[in-house]
Amino acid sequence: MKGCWLLVLIGAQAAFPQGRQVQRDLEGIWSNATITPLERPADLGGKATFTPEEAAAYEKQVVARGNVDNRPKNAEADVASAYNQFWYDRGTKAVGTRRTSLIVDPPDGRIPALTAEAQKRVQETRAWMEAHATDGPEGRSLGERCIVWFTAGPPMLPGPYNNNFQIVQTRDQVVILNEMIHDARVIPLDGRPHVAENIRQWRGDSRGHWEGSTLVVDTTNFSDEYSFRGSDRNLHLTERFTRSSPDTLLYQFTVEDPTAFTKPWTAQIPVTRAKGPIYEYACHEGNYAMVDILAGARKAEQKAAGNKPPK
Amino acid sequence: MRKSLAIAIAAAGLVIAGAAPVWAHHAFAAEFDSNKPLKLHGVVTKMEWINPHAWIHIDVKNPDGTVTNWMVEGGSPNTLLRNGFTKNSLPPGTEIVVDGYQSKDESNKMNGRDITFPDGRKLFVGSAGTGAPSDKSEK
Repeated sequence: MKGCWLLVLIGAQAAFPQGRQVQRDLEGIWSNATITPLERPADLGGKATFTPEEAAAYEKQVVARGNVDNRPKNAEADVASAYNQFWYDRGTKAVGTRRTSLIVDPPDGRIPALTAEAQKRVQETRAWMEAHATDGPEGRSLGERCIVWFTAGPPMLPGPYNNNFQIVQTRDQVVILNEMIHDARVIPLDGRPHVAENIRQWRGDSRGHWEGSTLVVDTTNFSDEYSFRGSDRNLHLTERFTRSSPDTLLYQFTVEDPTAFTKPWTAQIPVTRAKGPIYEYACHEGNYAMVDILAGARKAEQKAAGNKPPK
Repeated sequence: MRKSLAIAIAAAGLVIAGAAPVWAHHAFAAEFDSNKPLKLHGVVTKMEWINPHAWIHIDVKNPDGTVTNWMVEGGSPNTLLRNGFTKNSLPPGTEIVVDGYQSKDESNKMNGRDITFPDGRKLFVGSAGTGAPSDKSEK
């Protein structure tokens, strides 16, 4: 029992170093749900921030638009938009900073243009996926394959639902468990170097350190097959977590990838404490859709073969 | 001020209109066939609370008197639960009418584009007064 208390004390000293007023405590369950988009809508031009009245009107409009049973008349669109608002959990609020986009740099609030090389790569990948869309699971998106999720990170972005993550901290490590898909990212804080250059991982290789009360997480070594908004294997991500109040974190990330983006870009997302719990996602467990999609394609092939005129 | 507000609202509309249809775990258009619309009246036999999407099982009586079990795809169970939908919301034995599309593999699976009770009340619709659990929890 005494041993337990000793461990607790060591943990407390690590989190709140003696003689310093900084609060290095990020633990808890957090939500990054917001209706503010990553990129500023083109129509807003140079408008970086809403007035309080504009922000309220924006929230009202977005919520009203989503809160209807909206079925397109066209059957193809009806199948594709099989969700209505009840399936979503994006919240009803714009970010408290009243910014019109989560991207704060460049000042236009938009992701910088891709380099010519990256544009070519993205087009080639898209063409390959279209050509092989139902050959096997490899032709489907990484999200459909339950491998990574496009908002689960790193970096972490608000998505349509399950916008929750839990942070657990020890002296030497921080673990971020994201509700979408299955991600638990273990981030060493002990100063060890990144893994070797040739080791590539779906979610990269993260290393963290404290700068005052801010946890800075540096991530490299992303897989060649992973792409965040057009990034490539040279993606270097820097995330910053700052406890801005007992119930809020300020989460900021900077994307640097000179072979993919024409300049670096930064987004800022205020994160609020969530009631919890985090629910298990276990994506593979019930991913019947993958089987259905591929079986549907095989069925179509059989029919096409059966309909061929005999030679 | 008024002009910029109008622009902001128009932009908000664009964001929603552009983003909503593609935000699902997987491409429903690749799984279900828009040429096979279906409207089935059945009795709930069970609900699978599994990710990425929940599945509702229903028994549907065929014209010849036999019974076929159909599976209906729904949303993420995590979100359903947070929106107030529990295991008691759709107990076995409940009659529902499912309007959607059959899967492309022609198995007995469909998506639940609209789900209603026999008296016309809608299930799984977020708009006010439609009987969605979120409506009830707010009252």
